[in-house]
Amino acid sequence: MASPASANLLTPESAHSPNAEDSTTLYVIVMIAVLALIAAVNVGLLRGVSRNRARRGQQARDVSGLRRLQRLTAGGLAAFAILLFAVSVFFTERAQDPGSTGTEGLQSASVVTEGSGAAPVGGSTPPPSSRSADPLEITATAQQWLWRYTYPNGAFNYYRLVVPVDTAVKVRLVSTDVVHGWFVPSLGGKLDAVPGKTNFARFRADEIGTYEGRSSTFSGAAYAAERIEVEVVEPDEYEAFVDQQSADIQEAQDIVAEQIASGETP
Amino acid sequence: MTPPTIAPARPELYSDGYPQRRPRWVELITSADHKDIGRMLIGGSLGFLLLAAVEWLLMRAQLAIPENTLLKPEFFNRLLSIYGETAIFLFALPLVLGLFYFLVPLQIGARSTALPRIGQLGFWLWVAGAATLYASLVFTPPESGVNPLPPLSGITFSSSNGADVWLTCAGLSCLGFVLISIDMIATLRNHRAPGLVWRRLPPFAWAGAVGSWLLLVISVLMLGAITMLMFDRNVNGLFFDGGAGGAPLLWQHLSWIFFSGAYTLVVLAALAAIAEIVPAFSGRPLFDRRAVSASLTAIAVLGPLAWMQNMYSQPIGIGFSYFAMAMAMAMIVPFGILIFNFVATMQGGSVQVRAPMLYALGAVSMISIGLASELGHSAVAVAWQLQGTTDSTAATHYALVGAAILGGFAALHFWFPKLTGRTLGESLGRISFWTILAGLNISFLPLFFAGLQGQVVDAYKYFSDLGVSGYNLVASIGALVLTVGIVLALVNVLASLRSGVKAGHDPWGGTSLEWFALSPPPAHNFDVVPDVRSHEPLRDIRDAIGNRQRSAGEKTAESQPLA
Repeated sequence: MASPASANLLTPESAHSPNAEDSTTLYVIVMIAVLALIAAVNVGLLRGVSRNRARRGQQARDVSGLRRLQRLTAGGLAAFAILLFAVSVFFTERAQDPGSTGTEGLQSASVVTEGSGAAPVGGSTPPPSSRSADPLEITATAQQWLWRYTYPNGAFNYYRLVVPVDTAVKVRLVSTDVVHGWFVPSLGGKLDAVPGKTNFARFRADEIGTYEGRSSTFSGAAYAAERIEVEVVEPDEYEAFVDQQSADIQEAQDIVAEQIASGETP
Repeated sequence: MTPPTIAPARPELYSDGYPQRRPRWVELITSADHKDIGRMLIGGSLGFLLLAAVEWLLMRAQLAIPENTLLKPEFFNRLLSIYGETAIFLFALPLVLGLFYFLVPLQIGARSTALPRIGQLGFWLWVAGAATLYASLVFTPPESGVNPLPPLSGITFSSSNGADVWLTCAGLSCLGFVLISIDMIATLRNHRAPGLVWRRLPPFAWAGAVGSWLLLVISVLMLGAITMLMFDRNVNGLFFDGGAGGAPLLWQHLSWIFFSGAYTLVVLAALAAIAEIVPAFSGRPLFDRRAVSASLTAIAVLGPLAWMQNMYSQPIGIGFSYFAMAMAMAMIVPFGILIFNFVATMQGGSVQVRAPMLYALGAVSMISIGLASELGHSAVAVAWQLQGTTDSTAATHYALVGAAILGGFAALHFWFPKLTGRTLGESLGRISFWTILAGLNISFLPLFFAGLQGQVVDAYKYFSDLGVSGYNLVASIGALVLTVGIVLALVNVLASLRSGVKAGHDPWGGTSLEWFALSPPPAHNFDVVPDVRSHEPLRDIRDAIGNRQRSAGEKTAESQPLA
């Protein structure tokens, strides 16, 4: 089990999904730009003060080139801003698309949705590309202060999301009460579930393991305890899990129905 | 405004119409004089600075160790809500507005503001708002977070009156800001000294003009949002009810325009004050006034337009996020020009690093760290990773503590002689500066690192397995240092009020008209309002006096041999 690799001092938690990798790349580029700007401002200030401190016998300095320098600075900063904008758009576009399911992932995820029996096995005939490109869609429903996950076959569970490795996953974020933040750093950034609206978090986990997440939009009294766990497993294991979950739910349902029928439960 | 102390009048000087002198406090609470209102706004905001610092310190005490049980979650959330509202509505904006309201009429040679009763009403509405918030401590304080987003702040999920308290305080404050802004706009439009055309306004007065419009626009929008949420909560309104066709995101749009605009205004005012302090302590005029004025205007426009950079994680189209990112990144240019101007003004000057200059330089340095980090957060994919973590807390506090506290005290040190007739203590000023600077960095630098580890904002606890315990402990120690620094600075203000060195009307060799008035100015500000012939009227006056003295000296020298 790969534990969520901890971040070093200057970069976020290591990415385990292509979209999170793009975010991290952009982060590194932007951070270098930010540090350069901070350094430029502070070195400029310090030099400005230290070279011009009032002292005896001070000579008047030639400052005639400064107007030209101001124009150059403005032009340079404008070019810098445009470049930064273009780079940010480029990586943001990439960060929205984790790509389609890889070879190790759950093949033809949409078949499971239809619940048409056993999951197809990747054999000599690969499934049609249009179907394998469909991401696995899981609905994450937020409530105070817990997430509920509904899988394509109708099974659901709470707190821990189970997904197959190397599979394009599209988490449909909805909320039943207030605004909740979905934030699993290793698998991509923060997205909010707003009541009455739908938001989508996409990722493709590259490694088996458990990824910790947290809710990052203030949602009331127990907000700090609203945590998220994403467990990435082999596709077989995932299918076994959702089938088992579905069977368990059905079993519980049957017991209740039986009890109601027999008059044990009013 | 008290008239200068006069010897007890002899009976024969009384006439029937001469009003009885009332006690000082009665004069103050009934005053519509912009100087009294401005002083009360500044004094009140400094009081709330202390409260905000204590609230922050309490929250940091809770967060000093993981899974701490010092404060109950409800108590922490109340502190958080009160802290947020105090810092923005009761400290930062009133401080800026108080400085504008006191100084700008003086800077433009006005004998009073244009609509003094409107400004007075605005101030007392703000007082009522502040009183509501702090009176709620014994009833039901707000607990819906720094920005109470519906539906959490709606009646279903905040059934106590806490959210109404938040809305009342914010609403009355915004109404006050609107009224004071209207007075400022009218004054700047109508009461400028003869010859003081717009292009000759000093940078701080220019920021006052731009900032008043900005505050007017954003406060009105916020008032709209507050009214709608009040309706939702109290008379079954549906403005923000997603289930009934309302729009929860509407609140976010309106409130983020306000908060982005307020943030912009605080930074703008600090940089404008620094644009007056740096020339005064460099012995040179501001390098390029037109570029500075244009940059201040550009920031005031772009800042609130970037509001959706707070909403990247919401279900809005990616195009809107790119729009916000473009606005935020475009601000690199005006901020860069401002800072270039500060450095260029120092070039070839003789820089004296006295307390106001020290605070000003520290403010620019800290603001640069905060704003550059905010720039990083404006890149959409980066914000997805870092928004909602303490990384954004750190960036915001670097910029706002840098602007409102360091920049605010820079302005206070600089204009204290005009406010009170006395100088703020230099040595305690230096000590408090270095303490605040150290506290700010010790407290907020670790939060950048904790945010990268994924610690989320506004949470009353974090778990030890996150690996941010060390950062949080350091941050809490830093908060203590920061609070000590703030207390020292406030002690300095109080001590200097009583026993500061008496200052003349122009202690720094200023060039704008406020230094022409006495320190503190009389009730009518100016006995004579001079004609303004350039953007540095006081330099012209000094030159004219010098010429006259020289020519008078020559005359006597010539006339002597004849005598």
